[in-house]
Amino acid sequence: MNSSNQKKRNFQIEAFKHKVVVDPKYADKTWKILEHAITEIYNHNASGLSFEELYRNAYNMVLHKFGEKLYSGLVGTMTLHLQEMAKTIEAAQGNLFLEELNRKWNDHNKALQMIRDILMYMDRTFIPSNRKTPVHELGLNLWRDNVIHSSKIQTRLLDTLLELIQKERTGEIINRGLMRNIIKMLMDLGSSVYQEDFEKHFLEVSADFYRAESQDFIECCDCGDYLKKAERRLNEEIERVSLYLDSKSETKITNVVEKEMIASHMLRLVHMDNSGLVNMLIDDKYEDLGRMYNLFRRVPNGLPTIRDVMTSHLRETGKQLVTDAEKLKDPVEFVQCLLNEKDKYDKIINLAFSNDKTFQNALNSSFEYFINLNPRSPEFISLFVDEKLRKGLKGVSEEDVETILDKVMMLFRYLQEKDVFEKYYKQHLAKRLLSGKTVSDDAERSLIVKLKTECGYQFTSKLEGMFTDMKTSQDTMQGFYAAYAAELGDSPTLVVQVLTTGSWPTQPSITCNLPAEMSALCEKFRSYYLGTHTGRRLSWQTNMGTADLKAIFGKGQKHELNVSTYQMCVLMLFNSADRLSYKEIEQATEIPSSDLRRCLQSLACVKGKNVLRKEPMSKDIGEEDAFFVNDKFASKFYKVKIGTVVAQKESEPEKQETRQRVEEDRKPQIEAAIVRIMKSRRVLDHNNIIAEVTKQLQSRFLANPGEIKKRIESLIERDFLERDSSDRRLYRYLA
Amino acid sequence: MGIQKDRVRFNVGGKIFDTSATTLANAGRNSLFGAMFDENWDLQSGHSTTEHFIDRNPDYFAVLLDLLRTGELYLPSNMSEKQLYREALFYGILDHVRSAKWGPFDGNRLRLARSVTGRAPGDGTAIRAGPDGGCCVAHGSMVHVYDWMLEVHPPINLDYQRVNDAGWIDPESIVISACERFGTGDGGMGLFSASTGERRYKFHVSHENQVKSYTAGALSFSPDYKLFSSCKGRSNEYGIGVWDQVTGKQIDFFYEPPGWSLGEADKLQWLHGNNCLLVATLFPRKDNCYIGLLDFRDKSMPWSWSDVGAPITDEKRVRDAIAMEESSSVCVVNEYEDLGFMDLRRAAGSVRWSSRSRLMKGKMPDEPCYPKLALHEGQLFSSMNDSISVFRGPDWVLTSRLRRTYGGSICDFSIGGDRLFALHSEENVFDIWETPSPPII
Repeated sequence: MNSSNQKKRNFQIEAFKHKVVVDPKYADKTWKILEHAITEIYNHNASGLSFEELYRNAYNMVLHKFGEKLYSGLVGTMTLHLQEMAKTIEAAQGNLFLEELNRKWNDHNKALQMIRDILMYMDRTFIPSNRKTPVHELGLNLWRDNVIHSSKIQTRLLDTLLELIQKERTGEIINRGLMRNIIKMLMDLGSSVYQEDFEKHFLEVSADFYRAESQDFIECCDCGDYLKKAERRLNEEIERVSLYLDSKSETKITNVVEKEMIASHMLRLVHMDNSGLVNMLIDDKYEDLGRMYNLFRRVPNGLPTIRDVMTSHLRETGKQLVTDAEKLKDPVEFVQCLLNEKDKYDKIINLAFSNDKTFQNALNSSFEYFINLNPRSPEFISLFVDEKLRKGLKGVSEEDVETILDKVMMLFRYLQEKDVFEKYYKQHLAKRLLSGKTVSDDAERSLIVKLKTECGYQFTSKLEGMFTDMKTSQDTMQGFYAAYAAELGDSPTLVVQVLTTGSWPTQPSITCNLPAEMSALCEKFRSYYLGTHTGRRLSWQTNMGTADLKAIFGKGQKHELNVSTYQMCVLMLFNSADRLSYKEIEQATEIPSSDLRRCLQSLACVKGKNVLRKEPMSKDIGEEDAFFVNDKFASKFYKVKIGTVVAQKESEPEKQETRQRVEEDRKPQIEAAIVRIMKSRRVLDHNNIIAEVTKQLQSRFLANPGEIKKRIESLIERDFLERDSSDRRLYRYLA
Repeated sequence: MGIQKDRVRFNVGGKIFDTSATTLANAGRNSLFGAMFDENWDLQSGHSTTEHFIDRNPDYFAVLLDLLRTGELYLPSNMSEKQLYREALFYGILDHVRSAKWGPFDGNRLRLARSVTGRAPGDGTAIRAGPDGGCCVAHGSMVHVYDWMLEVHPPINLDYQRVNDAGWIDPESIVISACERFGTGDGGMGLFSASTGERRYKFHVSHENQVKSYTAGALSFSPDYKLFSSCKGRSNEYGIGVWDQVTGKQIDFFYEPPGWSLGEADKLQWLHGNNCLLVATLFPRKDNCYIGLLDFRDKSMPWSWSDVGAPITDEKRVRDAIAMEESSSVCVVNEYEDLGFMDLRRAAGSVRWSSRSRLMKGKMPDEPCYPKLALHEGQLFSSMNDSISVFRGPDWVLTSRLRRTYGGSICDFSIGGDRLFALHSEENVFDIWETPSPPII
């Protein structure tokens, strides 16, 4: 009816009255029966009721359009009963409160089920078409409004629940079954009831509790103990949720514990004196570290905090290690220390940090940082390999060889100046090959394969060339002796290794004067070799050879001396002279003086191996010294190896020289990179060239921007590039 | 053998029925019988009398008891269906009656169950099957709703706005799209109660945060509770609107690109596998046909076809289109019921027509209806004049034809709730086709 109709009341039309109406008294009577039944149900007196009759009565009310009366009657009656229940619950004393609440809740649920059965027809027809709340849901809502939200129950319930949880946290035993039932009731009333009436407050109280507790713990515990306690608390809360709370509360309550116990004290824990992260790392406390990792992982910024502290500690210790003057004296120990450090942290990351990729990356970048702090790292790593491949690996199984080589390769990856390593490696490999000191060909080749996969074919082609030369030389020698077998008779045995120029780290050196027998033999070989290989040139590298000499000393002692070619030349002189001065030896052999000094030193000054005597007796070789055969030479071995006194590490000038050679070798590589880049880009500005060149070369070495600039200038001079006429920072490629 | 313990005796309107708790358990928890028993289907102590008196008609109780015993429904011809339904409602087993009444849908086993004469004469707009076997019929500004018992409910009255399309969200809710009348600001889309006919919600369209009036056209629904409708706004705001079925809020709008037609589309079809909406605007609403797939995530049209610029003959004019996701193709139909196919995986090519029924040419009835297409579980349905053809892949051969001469041409049909509803144009009659329950052996 709208407002205009109300104004014109005169025109209102009376409703048509011949409707079939059921006697309203009948409806009242039927409702009384149903109301009585509901009361009986709440009084546990349902056994005397006839279900079929009640069902029919409810059906008839709905059928005869008294649905609304039935529904509102139900609401009224149920509300009355619930209010009575609320009074009984309120009256319950102390501990009995929750039990009474639980008992009444069960009663109400049972009654509700029966009422719903009786009113099923209304639930099915009247309620959906009139958009009312279904009976079951209505019963829950009324319980919520009349019982749970009654002023005398609401706060008491919350306080009781929180108090019980507090008791359980302090170690008392509580009735968990009852807790679970009550919480389940709150959840049944809807997630908002659970959240508003319980969960919200529970989280607040928990936050306060853990804030205070963590403060106590941090004052009196060391880091490991604190973490243990935090872990225990966290597990307790997770267990609590599984025992009697809504599973959705788990993340919320764990967040509270994480925030109060971990996030708020993170830095203090990590840096705790004598027990913090650094101490755990030093003492390999895998369990504590693992616990820290698992707890910190749960809070924002937790893992980065651990990682940062680990990184800076690692860099600090690494820096000390690579700059420790003591360690620098022994390259093998130096590298072994690095490997041990790497093993230590690999183990920590594996056992405690669940192989976290970000931690592995932090470890790698730290190693890269400090290994390159020491410019001699490439040399030392090569020396370590040299040591291992020379003798260290004897009796070691192939798998172990592989593991050691793999570890070395890992260090190699950290090197920025890989070309420096290559230089040294080549030198050391050459020495191993030429002196026949290499233990295992397989191990050597396996390492080269590893280098090849790491740095590409270019990097190892020369190294492989060295192996090829060794093989070819063997064949050549066989051919030589087959061809000249008759002619040679009992002249000394000559073994020549023909080395391809460029593949080997040779320096042009002056050939010394060989003893007459030897030089004749060498001439024969030269004519044989040039006869079979046309267009080649042979030059003798007398500084690299070795010789075995048979010697008989004054009292008839016979020995076989294993010496270098230089030493052989010197010793052969004493076949025709008893006493020779330094000058005379130098004149006769034409050995470069620095080499000669070292050679004489090793023949005359090393105790136990001094086949020569010197006048005056001293450690150093002087220009005026004189030398004799040591008639009293004695050794319990038949074979005696006379080493050359060589500094195993490079001396300062040698180092400079190697360095210089490396720099020289880099020049063409940098130039090639510049040309490659410019050829494809045509025009590029200075900063971009530097960036791209550095990127292209970083697998081999870290190019110095100053050097790149020099190379660019050199290319401009040679008309490969030009500067742009308008913008001086731009370079153009000239095809 | 001992004594059977689960026997139950009923006295229904004076007639004694003996049955077992096991039989009654078939009625389920939410029935009168369910309420009489506890969780273990033992009689509740409160009702443990020897005989249970029920004040109902014993003849219908016998039919329903038989239904609980066998799962099948046999109603003697002298008994009323409507009365059976009422009794079933009393006992709370109406759903059992419904599921026993007809079997799972199969286009090749359909039989005509009933024809219903509608309220308004002629010119039906659309018929839509509901999810539980009911349907709604739209004509003019009225939508009549029938439940699965084919009882008519209070009609939905659009207050003289012309209805364009209708669709069911659930057995209780229908969405109706209507034309906007000039000067009133109404029209658009509303959600209506199927049982009472009252409007429960109106869907709004906003452009640049301003609510605008619009004309809503074709509708489509997606399983993830989205509702799509073609929309024509007053100031050329044409396109496809998207709403959330749960909240009723507009969540997206795909504006019509220039040179294409979306806002006046005849057909929308949500393709869940491709996450795309098929939109077809067809002759005679426009001079040309436009069929495209819309991707709402990046507002693109990954596939489209149109006959703009192609020489048009009647044989090549597309009258309806439907996408078939399983074979990644679009099926179209012309006014002679020739089917044509296009590949969805290839950028719009041409239609591959399969001319089956050239015979139709020249034998057109006086008042032809345009053909309509529908797809149900691999079966393709096409309506033409007074019959519906059923085709089956992969080559879409004709497997069945449904025909009933009374009522004139079929102007629309719809499949749902395991039933097929066909609306005739002349006499305002609609047919209900059902699959009989499977044979006994």
